[in-house]
Amino acid sequence: MPQFEPGNFLPQLFWLAVIFAVLYFAVIRPTLPKVGRVIDEREGRVAGDLDAAETAKHEADAIRTRYDEAMAAARQAAQAEVAAASEKAAAAAEARMQALAAVLDGKADAAAGQLATARAAAKATLAATTAALTGDAIAKLTGIDVPAAEIEAALAAQA
Amino acid sequence: MANPMEQFSIERIVPLAVAGKDVSFTNSSLWMLIAMLLVAAFLYIGTAKPQLVPGRAQAAVEYLYDFIRDMLRENVGKEGLKYAPLIFALFIFVLACNLLGLIPFVGAFTPTSHIAVTFGLAAIVFVLVLIVGFAKHGLHFFTLFLPEGTPIFVLPLVAAIEFLSFLSRPFTLAIRLFANMTAGHVLLKVFGGFVVALGSFEALPYVFGIIPLAVNVALTALELLIAVVQAYVFALLASIYLNDAVNLH
Repeated sequence: MPQFEPGNFLPQLFWLAVIFAVLYFAVIRPTLPKVGRVIDEREGRVAGDLDAAETAKHEADAIRTRYDEAMAAARQAAQAEVAAASEKAAAAAEARMQALAAVLDGKADAAAGQLATARAAAKATLAATTAALTGDAIAKLTGIDVPAAEIEAALAAQA
Repeated sequence: MANPMEQFSIERIVPLAVAGKDVSFTNSSLWMLIAMLLVAAFLYIGTAKPQLVPGRAQAAVEYLYDFIRDMLRENVGKEGLKYAPLIFALFIFVLACNLLGLIPFVGAFTPTSHIAVTFGLAAIVFVLVLIVGFAKHGLHFFTLFLPEGTPIFVLPLVAAIEFLSFLSRPFTLAIRLFANMTAGHVLLKVFGGFVVALGSFEALPYVFGIIPLAVNVALTALELLIAVVQAYVFALLASIYLNDAVNLH
């Protein structure tokens, strides 16, 4: 086997040493640590970004909680205000209704009074007119001049 | 039939000698050089403009580098990440040598099928473990050979066994890779020989060659898997040994 010929050892070891030294010092050393740094940087960046995302999430959660609380408080306040306003409005409407009713009652009373006066007046005029008309009619039909007081009495008895 | 060992022969392309020692540029050196250049192209293209959001080439480099870093994180801990470039260099060099050796028709040579190369790589791991261990723990590093909770009367025996197993590590590491690569290539060559031998059966030519050819296709897939797995195993064992140096068990 050529592997066990001692004469072959030295040339191989010599060139292995030369080539491996070149590989390590001229190829690996100048190149690989650059990649290592990039990998570390990337890991750092990813970890940092994850932390930032976590922080942002917490912040968002806190904001959300605050928002929810503020919303609930605002809703409650609004409801109270609405209740108060509607109560006030109802009271105001009630008062106006009452005032209006009073005015209308007054007006109705006045109108009723007027109506009664007018009716009495009309009644009074009606009796006199009826008596006169009746007198005229009797005079025309019979030629008898009946005194007004008589006719009035007769009419009153009829009614 | 061609000798299945022929594929492992070292050919001196440029004979060289320094101080009387043979350091010729061989086919093994050539394929190590090709592996190194391919890795260089891969890395220089992948890291030309490192972006936070990687492109294809950078994503490919990152994928492999992350793979090694995860392995070190798991086996050594955070402290192991310092050695990621070296473990990565071992992994990708072994991987490139293993895979390049499987290319047919181009006269590919697998440097990792030679014990000298795999031993050289294992020696890098061994020396690294020694340097890190002694630099970090000083003479305390020797407590690696004294497992906690061992009864005092078997301690010398346990320490001796631990010490031997520690010393055998570079050899097992080297032999595992070398044996896997060699066995695979021998198998491919043997079945390749069968294709010719059975295919040239004169009464019914070609027909019987199909069987070993099919086996060879399947073996090639298996060898691709082994090429990747052995590179992974090499890097994994290197990080496990490194864990001893960093954490003392």
